[in-house]
Amino acid sequence: MSNTPPDPIRGAGFAAGRTAASAARLVADVARLSGDSWTGATGAAAQANTLADRLETLAEADADAFAAALAALGEKSAELEKRMEWAAAVPLEIAEAAADVAHTAALVAERCDGLVRADAAGAAALAAGAALAAAQLVRANLTVATDDPRLARALRAADDARYSASRALDSGV
Amino acid sequence: MSRDEELVERCLAGERDAWDDLVLAYSRYVYAICSQGYRLQGADAEDAFQDVFLRVYDRLGTLRDPAALRPWIAQLTRRVCLDRLAAGKREEPLELEDTGIDSTIEELDEAFAVREALTELSAECQEVLDRFFGRDESYRTIGEELGIPSGTIASRISRCLARLRERLTAGDATAGRNEGGSPSGEVGT
Repeated sequence: MSNTPPDPIRGAGFAAGRTAASAARLVADVARLSGDSWTGATGAAAQANTLADRLETLAEADADAFAAALAALGEKSAELEKRMEWAAAVPLEIAEAAADVAHTAALVAERCDGLVRADAAGAAALAAGAALAAAQLVRANLTVATDDPRLARALRAADDARYSASRALDSGV
Repeated sequence: MSRDEELVERCLAGERDAWDDLVLAYSRYVYAICSQGYRLQGADAEDAFQDVFLRVYDRLGTLRDPAALRPWIAQLTRRVCLDRLAAGKREEPLELEDTGIDSTIEELDEAFAVREALTELSAECQEVLDRFFGRDESYRTIGEELGIPSGTIASRISRCLARLRERLTAGDATAGRNEGGSPSGEVGT
């Protein structure tokens, strides 16, 4: 039997961040492939790559925040509220960044080479799913009430992302 | 006439604010070479910084090509840093200290060129690019803060990046014309 400690549980925020980051890299690839036919392709690729970098960092931050919140809950720590606040702040940022990925994906889907349009649309759908998952984590956080502005922002990001994904999926149809 | 050519001309003409402008324009660059390139810290970095600008003041008249001000300052800074390391009798061989300096200076040059090109863009472009790339703001936040529809931010950023690229390409072309031979004049100690 191995003595290796089990991998830490990273939670849905980490998965949402990584998913949106992968979607952003895909958007950057599609934009680059469309460089011959679209002058804004390089700028779109740069934005998508920046969002991917940001989301990769946020995914790791979420894993840390999630672990800290779980530990505080288990220990009934005095730090509990602070850690729960942190555990809500990171998914909110993930939701907003994922919404931006979905928006960039829609922009790219509407202008890219037709051969790779489905990839841009798929990336938008993945980003929208990530935004929704992250917004749900904000809603589920114990420190967030139903009238909390953080929840309103997170849900708005999820809505924006869903709208962008619809645009992307409808483009070229 | 490039900004550097204009700066050199103003300094050599004895214009009152020109030296302040030159120091302001190059202080971060010089400090970055000292601290990031040669790992000088604290008082050492401060002294090297002062020394570089004293030498710039003394020797600007020897600079043959005013458009090559930046590489000339970079060369002066390298010399000052190496002198300071040698005077400090550091144990590491200077050849090792110099390893990787070229790439560090190349990166600093690139960052400096981008910063310079940014200042030539419209205020709106500068603002939008800084908020997205520098402050990690979302499209929605940028739109709300600037009173612009958030759905147009990504396109605006793309357009601004295209303009930035044009400026950088134009800058490269100018730098290319200034390459060859020894444009920098005397930099010896």
